[in-house]
Amino acid sequence: MILDRFKLDGKVAIITGGGRGLDRAMAVRFANCGADIVAAARTLDQLNETKALVEAAGRKCQIVPTDVGRSAEVNAMVAAAIKEFGRVDVMVNNAGIGEDSFGKSIDQITDDEWRRGMDVNLSSQFFCARAVIPHMLKAGHGKIINVASGYGLRGGKHNYMYACSKGAVLQLTRSLALTYAENNIQTNCIVPGIFPHNEAMMKFFKGGKFIPIGRPGNDEDVGPLAVFLAAEASNHINGELIIIDGGGLAGGVIPTGVAPGNPA
Amino acid sequence: MADQKTLPPGLREFSLAGKTALVIGAEHPAGGVAAITLAEAGANVMLAAQDVGAEEALGLAAKAAQATGVKAVVRMQRAAIRADLAATADRAVKDLGGLDILVTALDTPLYAPFEATDDSAYDRVMDENFKSVWMAYQEVGRVMLNRGGGSIVTISHVMAERGVPNAALYCAAQGAVRNLVRAAALEWARRNLRINLLECGWIEEPGSPALAPGEFGERLVKYLPYRRLLKPEEIAGALLYLASPASSFVTGEAVAVDGGLLCRV
Repeated sequence: MILDRFKLDGKVAIITGGGRGLDRAMAVRFANCGADIVAAARTLDQLNETKALVEAAGRKCQIVPTDVGRSAEVNAMVAAAIKEFGRVDVMVNNAGIGEDSFGKSIDQITDDEWRRGMDVNLSSQFFCARAVIPHMLKAGHGKIINVASGYGLRGGKHNYMYACSKGAVLQLTRSLALTYAENNIQTNCIVPGIFPHNEAMMKFFKGGKFIPIGRPGNDEDVGPLAVFLAAEASNHINGELIIIDGGGLAGGVIPTGVAPGNPA
Repeated sequence: MADQKTLPPGLREFSLAGKTALVIGAEHPAGGVAAITLAEAGANVMLAAQDVGAEEALGLAAKAAQATGVKAVVRMQRAAIRADLAATADRAVKDLGGLDILVTALDTPLYAPFEATDDSAYDRVMDENFKSVWMAYQEVGRVMLNRGGGSIVTISHVMAERGVPNAALYCAAQGAVRNLVRAAALEWARRNLRINLLECGWIEEPGSPALAPGEFGERLVKYLPYRRLLKPEEIAGALLYLASPASSFVTGEAVAVDGGLLCRV
């Protein structure tokens, strides 16, 4: 029965990110499919709300304060998850910064901003994969889900660190996928389009009116995709970039909302 | 049919209870899997086939679909004949009461040296792999648009993304389908009709060159990341994700079920 192969009963998923957006939607969705959650982030204020939602769904939620840009903290976080649950079936690398920082000209960006962005958006995904893979190898299965962005595939004006780090995440996905293909560890990448997480972003992206489908993404759109990639139903999907952007990357060579016609 | 009461709340968008699906190419292994998968998720299904002699395979798939508790009906038609497709879409609505999902599984390869393929090979490959899909989108899509939209999934091959020697025409037809999906998806994006591609890796199915004795099959299997061919039933998860409201923000895209093969190249 196909729907049974989407269930996550008894699985343990680590999800990085501060409880503000996609991570909460994924955590609650996973819990509603039967998984226990380890929530890892530096800013904890909003993770208690995530924990309450996961627990309301009848599952456990462990909060581990972690700066995912620092490998020692990532290693300690994964060790804490193993201590609590004895297993990690799914690693969701979602934490990221800078999605609302476009617009600064290149001479205004400091070395620290660039490095911190690459640490949090890219290195964190490498650190987390490195820390969970030995456990997944031992268990004989595992799912790594990296979250990138449409900006990993396209350029943006004044968009340096974000586009570069997200583009690199696609490559990290491919190499992990090929390396562990024979070990039953699948690595895939969710590539979200425009998902505004605050009013300023909604304004910057003009309410999403240039998105072909006619609306911006909301965090709930990503939940079912994350479940699919975490579940047995996707066992033959590996190294794949799944673009969830309302048709944005299907087009792009003309503005949305107009179409060419023949000259009179 | 899925027991809706035991479905975890996190899977509600994957349920197809009350929906109707048409699978064109249900006589192919991937099309048969699609029909059974949609039925398991709760959809009533019409299985359409075009190959003469496909009735037996079609009947088996229909029986398996019916065993899940949904309505499943079969229909013989010709895939690249407009009147047949229009009649099939009308019949699906009449017999099953709706039309929310279209799956095309029409992919039929031709392997031959490029300079040896003639005009009749061109017509056959383009008709079977491209014209049939283009026409299905128009004729079935028209009915779906009039009924408020839905989801279209075309099952194709990773050759839509790369070149393969001895398969130039087939690769060209697959590439044409790939970009048809993008452009048509953009036109229908605001009319609630989504189109996506499911690109299979090398499938274990009768007639596949991967199963023919000789160097090609041996070296191919060693090259595949999973070191084995894809079983048709392994596309079921991606098919359900793309066909169901679970993917409502995904259109004009392709999902490869290939074990990571496209990462290599």
